[in-house]
Amino acid sequence: MNLRGGWFLIKHTWMSWLQQPIFFFLLAFGWMIPTLIYLFVWYTAAAGKTIGGMTQHEFVGYYLVFALVSQLTYSQTNWTVGDRIRDGSLNFQLVRPISPIFHTVAAEVAGKVVYMTFVIPIACILALVLHPELHPTLSSSLLFLPSLILAWLLRFFWGYWLALLAFWTTRANALLGVQDSLTFLLAGQVAPIALLPSPLQSIARVLPFRYMVGFPVEVLTSHLSTVELFTGLAYQVAWLLTSLILFIVVWRAGQQHYTAVGG
Amino acid sequence: MSIPQIVVRNLSKTYRVPEREAGLIASIQSLWARKYRNVEAVRDISFSIAAGEIVGFLGPNGAGKTTTLKMLSGLLYPTAGEVRVAGFVPWKREPAYLQRISMVFGNKSQVLWDIPPKDSFRVMGEIYHVPLCNLSRMLDELVELLDMHALLAKPVRTLSLGERMKCELVAALLYQPKVLFLDEPTLGLDLSMQQRFRHFIAEYNRLYGATIILTSHYMADIVALCPRVIVINHGSLLYDGSLQKLACQLAPSKVLRLIISDEYTQVNPDLTFPTGVEVLAHEGASWTLSVPQAKVPTVAASLLNNFPIVDLAIEDPPIETVVNQVYQWSPSPHLTGGIDAGTQEEQELFRNENVGVPVTGNSQGGER
Repeated sequence: MNLRGGWFLIKHTWMSWLQQPIFFFLLAFGWMIPTLIYLFVWYTAAAGKTIGGMTQHEFVGYYLVFALVSQLTYSQTNWTVGDRIRDGSLNFQLVRPISPIFHTVAAEVAGKVVYMTFVIPIACILALVLHPELHPTLSSSLLFLPSLILAWLLRFFWGYWLALLAFWTTRANALLGVQDSLTFLLAGQVAPIALLPSPLQSIARVLPFRYMVGFPVEVLTSHLSTVELFTGLAYQVAWLLTSLILFIVVWRAGQQHYTAVGG
Repeated sequence: MSIPQIVVRNLSKTYRVPEREAGLIASIQSLWARKYRNVEAVRDISFSIAAGEIVGFLGPNGAGKTTTLKMLSGLLYPTAGEVRVAGFVPWKREPAYLQRISMVFGNKSQVLWDIPPKDSFRVMGEIYHVPLCNLSRMLDELVELLDMHALLAKPVRTLSLGERMKCELVAALLYQPKVLFLDEPTLGLDLSMQQRFRHFIAEYNRLYGATIILTSHYMADIVALCPRVIVINHGSLLYDGSLQKLACQLAPSKVLRLIISDEYTQVNPDLTFPTGVEVLAHEGASWTLSVPQAKVPTVAASLLNNFPIVDLAIEDPPIETVVNQVYQWSPSPHLTGGIDAGTQEEQELFRNENVGVPVTGNSQGGER
């Protein structure tokens, strides 16, 4: 594996992205808006009372952590994978002695650094104004980081194998749109999973979308039992392995199907 | 013959493409009953190229040149046939193979758009494991050859097309690839830049002994760089040999340029030429004639005997005319087939890895 080459690619992609920070800040702002809307909806609804055991300030804590986790795990670069396959610009990546996934990972890591320079200050300002409440325990604090990393890997590889379906269908990006919609509904953005109607809650706990965003947020902000914590981590690992297998199968089959359009 | 660097045997590629009639009804029907058509982009072509050769791929648009190049570079899996490039099966895309090849597309960019090219070159150096001292030396050499010192610190998006092409060439060559696939590399470049490019490629070939396949619609590129050409049309190989021989063998006629004495022309303004001779141009005492190949000696003798000739030149027709004529042909057995089963080295290349695949195809190396 060409790790040194991959590291240089990440570094220079980051340098390239830093040339246009305003564009990426605007993108990040756009992605934050839905989360902020739900923050204010629940903030208003929970004024002077608790909903599902959560106070107004606990909702603030939940949604501010959600905004950060969502930005950190959102794989915006998967949207360009299908375009590269469709317009043939994948050709250059395929003839280099480095796996094409490094190019996507490079953009992903570079993007995270640029976006977070915008998102963290915004979250800090909102925290100063709205006074979030968090009650993390030692175990939840320790498990937050692994759950966040697993969430990012799961969201990335799940989106990546879907994007690779562009080898067969030119409009694979529609599937990424479906993934985003299901994440919106079942990953704890509309409401924390515990507040969803019971049938929807059962579905959300089984499907991968909660484990892409909502679960790390719950680890830090909710009072999950030890069993719930480790069940959640097991689901993350299982879905990650599934998405890795799907990625490998689709990538291998897709290369043989690739038509390398364009010059 | 030296050991072949590229060996292609019975290579074919068929694409399955969706198709439908024009109009709304057909577009609605295609939602549940999509029709497909098989398009044979490359049909059973065979050839071999020795290390250090520069070969031009000729053919009209859609002939199968780029598809062939993409199979040779490992971008496409073939439908049938075998290929070895530098001893590797290209579509396995082993890192050791990708380290040895380079592909340049005239209309696509591989350098990062927003940063200066020097940063992109550093990334390429790391991807191709070029030690820093070698990278600096190679970079100095290429920058010198292409005279592009002033471009190194500017963001790529601010460069002109020709300047970007220089950057593409440096990015493609700084790890000293042994096999180069150049697909329309001079597309959109001005005459001066085209000339500089040709000189550069010839120099690279001379210095590093690289094997080069070049496709270009500019015949000047082919004439300047490629002693050997492979002509493909409708996916089939039409000709494999020297460009000069192609012109000599296949041009149906030669061009005779003659100047007759002014005095004679003033007295006899309308000249009568032997049968079969076509007047292409006439101005004053100068005549340009097209003469069938077989009749050239007799016509020339007749002209010298019958007219007071001041100057007579016999030329091949422009290469574009010859090539255009080749494009009109259908594949014919006397041009493409009936060759031996390949040299011993070629057979050895396939024997190593292809158990159960017959090695009986047509191999076309060298001139014919």
